[in-house]
Amino acid sequence: MKKSTLAAIACALFSAGAPAGTIEMKVYGLVCGFCAQGIEKTLRKNPATADVFVSLENKLVAIGTRDGQDISDADLTKALTDAGYDVKGIARTERSMAEIRTALKAAAK
Amino acid sequence: MKLVSGLAACVLLCAPAAFSKPIAFAHGTTVMAEYGAGTMNEAQIFYAPTFKYSLGLGYLELDSDQNGRKREISYARVNYLVKRWNMESAQANVFTWGSIGNARVSEQRSDVFSWNAGAQIDYETRRVYGSLKTDLNRSSAFSHRVDTLQLGVAPYKHEADSLATWFVVQGRRYTGEIHDGTEWALLLRLFKRGAWVEAGVTQDGKLQAMAMVNF
Repeated sequence: MKKSTLAAIACALFSAGAPAGTIEMKVYGLVCGFCAQGIEKTLRKNPATADVFVSLENKLVAIGTRDGQDISDADLTKALTDAGYDVKGIARTERSMAEIRTALKAAAK
Repeated sequence: MKLVSGLAACVLLCAPAAFSKPIAFAHGTTVMAEYGAGTMNEAQIFYAPTFKYSLGLGYLELDSDQNGRKREISYARVNYLVKRWNMESAQANVFTWGSIGNARVSEQRSDVFSWNAGAQIDYETRRVYGSLKTDLNRSSAFSHRVDTLQLGVAPYKHEADSLATWFVVQGRRYTGEIHDGTEWALLLRLFKRGAWVEAGVTQDGKLQAMAMVNF
């Protein structure tokens, strides 16, 4: 992956003050499709979750929340910890879920 | 025993390690069936209330290629995740389990109470993996331990929603006159999302295969 892409992801992950709607989490321990499956299953149980995207390459779990709803950092950390993974960073970003998918797929090529 | 100790040291010290886990993920159900070269067949179903443990039922068939004796063991099992290490691009685990059940013993033509204890250590990235598993089955009529080493390499890094491909070398040893020596097999493993299949051949040209579904 290009350094500029990594920098953009890091910037998006840790930028402060972005409006809610998309939550991006850096997660350790993501090594297979089963990990992604378990995390998606856990997060989709939250009524505020509209969409979930997991990127193993970027150690990223992104959540699209429903309009006007949010999930607290404590609840996100608990959900991921209870699923068996370690959360290393949480950020609300302005990127839409579609933009995240497109950017990461492009970066992977 | 020296071979097993050596393999264990290799897994622990040389890095690569993982394989199918007795606990896939919290609130997940795992269904697995394995055909092991005619000497060992097993089927299991587990449900994991949390990522730390799972409960389930299984059936194990051991067929000796030395004396023709056969054990058919039906069991109830608890699996427990002793320790997990989540690293930036890797994961390692230590699992243990125990079960009790009923065993049909061919030479006695009778059923006996049986119990089982086992453990697994694994380590995996998206390119290399390895696991070492030991599984002891005992009853008043038999004692068999099955030790399995798997070392795998992936030709590419898979993503969460893409097909994962692995080439795996498996070494398996049995005690209690099931099979003499180490049974080596080369396997092709494919998985995507919750579905997993693998197949290969042993050094004797026998089929070794496994299928698993997580949901």
